[in-house]
Amino acid sequence: MTLDLKLLYTILSLSILLPINLLSQSAQSIIDEVEKLYQGNSSRVKMTMIIQTEDYERSLSLEGITLGDDLANFRILSPKKDKGIATLMRFKEMWNFLPKIDRVIKVPPSMMMSSWMGSDFTNDDLVKQTNLSEEYDLSLSEKDDKYIINLIPRVSTVTVWGKIQYHILKNPLLPTKQIFYDEKGLAIRQLDFIESKIFDGKLLPSKLVMVPLNKVGHKTIIIYDSVSFDPDDISEDMFTLRYLKRRF
Amino acid sequence: MLMIRQAWRNIFRNIRRSVLTCTLIASSLVVIILVDSIINSMTGLMVKGITETIEGEAQIYHSGFRDQYDPELYISDPKSIISNLDSDNEIKSYASRVIVPSMIGSSYNSDGVVLYGVDAEKESNTSRLQSAVIEGDYLSGSDKELILGRLIAEKLEVGIGDRIVITSSEINTNQMIQELFRVSGIVQFGPKELDEGFAFINLSTAQRMFNIGEGVHQIAIRFTNPELANSPDLDIYKTLPSDTLEAKGWLALQPGLGAMLEMTGLSTLIMGAILFILASLGVVNSIFMSIYERTYELAVSKAIGTRPSGIASLVLLEGLFLALISCFFGIIITVILGIFLKENGLSLGVMEFSGVAFPDNIPVILTLDQFVNFPFYVVLLTLVAAIYPAIFAARIVPAQAVQKAL
Amino acid sequence: MLILRMAFRNLFRQYRRTILTGLSIGGGYIVFVLSVSLVEGSYGNVIDIFTKDSVGHIQIHRKSYREKPKTYLTIDNRKELEELFYKESQIISFTPRVLSMALAYGKEKSTPVKVLGIDPNLEADVTRIKEKIFTGDYFDSTPNADGYYKAMIGSSIAESLKINIGDELILIGQGAEGSIANDIFIVSSIVGNENSFDKMTVYLPLVASQSFLSLSDEVHQYALLVNKPKRNLEIAAELQETLSNLDVAPWQRIETTFYQTMQADRKGNNYTLILIVFLVFVGVLNTILMSVLERTKEFGVIRAIGCRPSKLILLINLETIFLTFLSISISLIIVIPMIYWFANTGLLLSEPIDMGGVMFQHMRGEFSLNVFLKPMIIVFITSFLVSLPPGFRAARMTPKNAMDFN
Repeated sequence: MTLDLKLLYTILSLSILLPINLLSQSAQSIIDEVEKLYQGNSSRVKMTMIIQTEDYERSLSLEGITLGDDLANFRILSPKKDKGIATLMRFKEMWNFLPKIDRVIKVPPSMMMSSWMGSDFTNDDLVKQTNLSEEYDLSLSEKDDKYIINLIPRVSTVTVWGKIQYHILKNPLLPTKQIFYDEKGLAIRQLDFIESKIFDGKLLPSKLVMVPLNKVGHKTIIIYDSVSFDPDDISEDMFTLRYLKRRF
Repeated sequence: MLMIRQAWRNIFRNIRRSVLTCTLIASSLVVIILVDSIINSMTGLMVKGITETIEGEAQIYHSGFRDQYDPELYISDPKSIISNLDSDNEIKSYASRVIVPSMIGSSYNSDGVVLYGVDAEKESNTSRLQSAVIEGDYLSGSDKELILGRLIAEKLEVGIGDRIVITSSEINTNQMIQELFRVSGIVQFGPKELDEGFAFINLSTAQRMFNIGEGVHQIAIRFTNPELANSPDLDIYKTLPSDTLEAKGWLALQPGLGAMLEMTGLSTLIMGAILFILASLGVVNSIFMSIYERTYELAVSKAIGTRPSGIASLVLLEGLFLALISCFFGIIITVILGIFLKENGLSLGVMEFSGVAFPDNIPVILTLDQFVNFPFYVVLLTLVAAIYPAIFAARIVPAQAVQKAL
Repeated sequence: MLILRMAFRNLFRQYRRTILTGLSIGGGYIVFVLSVSLVEGSYGNVIDIFTKDSVGHIQIHRKSYREKPKTYLTIDNRKELEELFYKESQIISFTPRVLSMALAYGKEKSTPVKVLGIDPNLEADVTRIKEKIFTGDYFDSTPNADGYYKAMIGSSIAESLKINIGDELILIGQGAEGSIANDIFIVSSIVGNENSFDKMTVYLPLVASQSFLSLSDEVHQYALLVNKPKRNLEIAAELQETLSNLDVAPWQRIETTFYQTMQADRKGNNYTLILIVFLVFVGVLNTILMSVLERTKEFGVIRAIGCRPSKLILLINLETIFLTFLSISISLIIVIPMIYWFANTGLLLSEPIDMGGVMFQHMRGEFSLNVFLKPMIIVFITSFLVSLPPGFRAARMTPKNAMDFN
C-alpha cells in the first residue's frame, strides 16, 4: 500500500479509517496501520466531481466499484453528453470505454501524465503504485491534534515531487491534507480532505479538494454522495474489458 | 608570332574603347563569382545546418522508421553494422541513437517530447549537441543525466539539477515505464522545433529503459569527405541495405533540400547566362567598332595576300587578349572584394530555411575553382562572341572596302 | 525639328552599330525585367500560395488564443462580427474555423491529427480547399442517414490509418471543458498530397466540429481575404480598432518565421539585383559611350559647319533616347510574353521547396506594370546620363581637335 494508492482509494472508495489510538507511534507504524486498513475491501460509490477553472465550471456525476488494491471501474452518469463513458483501472493500466463510438481505448502510457476527465487529477494519480516505506523517507512530527508526516523521496524514487507533507488527524484518525512540494520547498498542489460524514457506518471525509497552486483559478472538488462497503455483488470479472462495455 | 604582336598592339590602338570593353567583361566576371559565392555560402550553410545539427550526412535505420518514427522499428542487432562502420575509412564518425516519443513531466508541468538516447562521446563528434549546450554540462554517461532544449525547459519551468520524470512505454511489451532524471544541461540549436521538442539522455539508459538490449533506432553518419555523402558508390549504400535496413544520404533524406539546391542552381545558371549574353554583346560591339575603323587597313592587308583565315584569327586573338586582360583585372577586384566579404560577411537578418536557422552574417567564401572555372568560361564566351565579327572581317572584299573607306 | 530629324536619321545611317547598341540596351532591359519579375514573383507566388492555402490575409482570434490555444477560448459574437465583415468593403471573403487536436483511429492504428472545423461554403471563398481535393467529393454539412457527419482527411492520415473514402474515422480529443470528445465520421474525400501543410489534418463541417468539442455556435478563428493584399497590415490595424476585444493579426504576424525568412531572402536577392543593375548600367554605358566616341570626327565636322555646342549635346541625347526607346519597345515585344509565361506557368522544380513551412514547386514571375516600368525608368535615366559626358566632350572640342581624334 502506498500513499498514492491511498489517494486513489480515498478518491475512489473511501475505505475504513478506524479511529485507533496511534499516539506516540512512529511515522512508519502510522502509515503501516493506515495501509492495513485499506486492504482487501470492495466498495460501491456514487460521487460528484466539480472542475473549476478561470473560464468554466463543469460538473460530473459518477458511479464506481472497486475491488482490492488494483481494480476499479467507473462510469459517468451525467451530463448527458458524457453519459456512459467508463474507465477501467487494472493494476498500472487504464482503459476508457466510449459508448458513442462503441470502442474501448487503452490510455497510452504517454498519456498517463495528462488529466483525468479534465480534472486536476492526472491519470497517473489514480493508478500509480509506489511502496511508501521503500521509496520515501518518513519523518513524523505532531502539531496540536495532528500528525504531520513528511515524505522525502529516496534518490532512486521516480516522482516529480521534492516532498509530500501528509496531515492526519489523531482522533478520529483521518487524513486532512496532503501538500506536494517541489525541491525548492515551494508548495505546488494541495489536496484537502474535509467535511467528515458517516458512510455505511464509518466516519470519512466526504469532500476532496485538489488545488494546483501554480494554476490560477483551478480547482477540482470531489463530493461523495453515497458509499457502501463490501457489497455482495462485486466480483473480479466486473473489472475486465468485456465488462467495461456493459452497463452495470 | 607576328599576328600575336599585331593583335596585342591593336588592342592599345584605341585604349578608351578597350578599357570600356574590359570594364564590362571584368564586371561580369566579378559579379558572377560573387553571386556564385553568396549562393554557395548560403546553400553550404543550409546543408551544414541540416547535416551537422542533428541529422548527420547519412543515416542507417530500420526500413520504414522514418515514415512515422514508430519506436518498434529498431535495429535489434547493430553490432555487425557498427563494426563495418568502424573499419570503413570513408566514415569520419557515427552516432547511434534510440528515438522514442515520450511524456516529460516536472513538478510544474508536463508535455510531449521526442526522447533521444545518445552515446555521449560519439554524438559529440557527429552532431552539434555538445556545442549547443548553453547551460549546465554535456552528458558524461551517468544514468540520471538529461539534456533539454531551451524552450521545453522554459515550458517545464526547470533549471539545472531539477527533477524530471519521463513517462513512456516499453517498446516490445507496451508496458508503462517511468524514470527519474535530473536536468544536467540545456541546449539551444536555434530552430524552434528542435528547442521545444527534444530531450537527450544517455544511450545505455535509453536501451535499458525501453528494454531493447543493444538495439538502436538510427545511426547518424559523418563522412571524411562530406562532398561524397550522396554518392551511391559509397560502401554503406552499396553493402548495407537489406530488407529491413535502409542507408541514405542527406539528399535522399531531405528531398525538399534537393529542390532548394536545384532552384538556386537554376537561378545562378539563368543569371550567369544572361550576364554573359550581356557581356558578349559588348564584346561584339567593341570588336565591330574596331573592325569598322580598320576596314581600309584590313582590306589592304587582304589585298596584299593575307588569307581570310588569317584575318579571322587576328580578330579572334584580339578578343582573346581582351578577355585575358579583363580576367586579370576582374580577378584582382574579386580578390579584394572577397577578402572584405570574408571578414565582414553579408548581413541578411534572421533566416530559416527548411528548419535550419542561419547566422546573422553569412561569411562569403571564395574558392580556387571559381577563379579557374569562371575566367575560363569568360574567355571561351568572349571568343565565341568574337566569331561573328571575325567572319565579318574575313569576308571583307578589298575592292569594295577600299572604295568605301575612301 | 531639324535636330529631331537628324537624330532619327543618324540612327539608321549606321544601322549595324545601332543594332548592336540597341541589343545591349534591350538585352540589359530584358535581364532587368526578368530579374525583378522573378524576385518579386517568387515572393508574390509564395505569399499567394501561403495565404490562400489556409492562413488568409488576416486572422481574428479571441485574445490570448494564439499564445495558448485552449479550446474554450472562442469567439462567440459571430452574428455581429459577420455583419461587420459583410459591411466592410475591403473584406472580400471570410471563413469561420474551429481548431483542435485529436487522436484519429482507423481500423487498427491511431495517429495524432489536427482537427479543422470549416463552413464548407465560406471556406471555399477564402482558400483553395476545393481545388485540393485529391479523390472523393467536397463535403457538406448534412449528416448521412445514420447521423454521421462527413470528414475530409489529409493524405498522410489516409495512408497511415489505411482508410479510404466511405470508411469510418474515429476521433478522440478533449472537449471545451475537459470532457472526452469522441465521435465517428465518414471519410468523404482525401485532400492534398504528402507535401501539403494539411497532410495530417481532418476537416470537419463547422457544426460537426462544434458538437464534437461541446461548443455552442462558437469558433476559434476567422480567416479573411482583403481586396488589396498588399495593404493587409493597414486593414488589420483598422479592424483591430473596431474589434478591440479580439486579436486581429495580419498573416505577417501569424507566420513570423516565414515572414522573417522571406524578408531576409528578399534582402539577399536585392544584393543580387543591385549587381545586375550595375552590370546593365556598365553595359549600356559602355556601348553608348563607345558609339559616341567613334563618331568624334563626325561631330567635329558638324561643329565645323556651324552647329552650336548645345545643339550638339541635344542631338547626342536625342539619339540615345530614341535608341533607348526603340530598343525598349522591341524588347517589350519579347519580354512581355516571356514574363507572362513565367507568371502563369513558371519553371517546374522536380521537388517542392519547403520555405519556412510553405511548399512551392514552381519558380514564378510577377506580371505587373511595376515589373516593366521600374527597369524602364532606370534604363532611360542610365542612357540619358551616359550620353551626357560624351555630348559635352564633343561639344567642347574644337573641330580641328575632333577631326584629329585618334
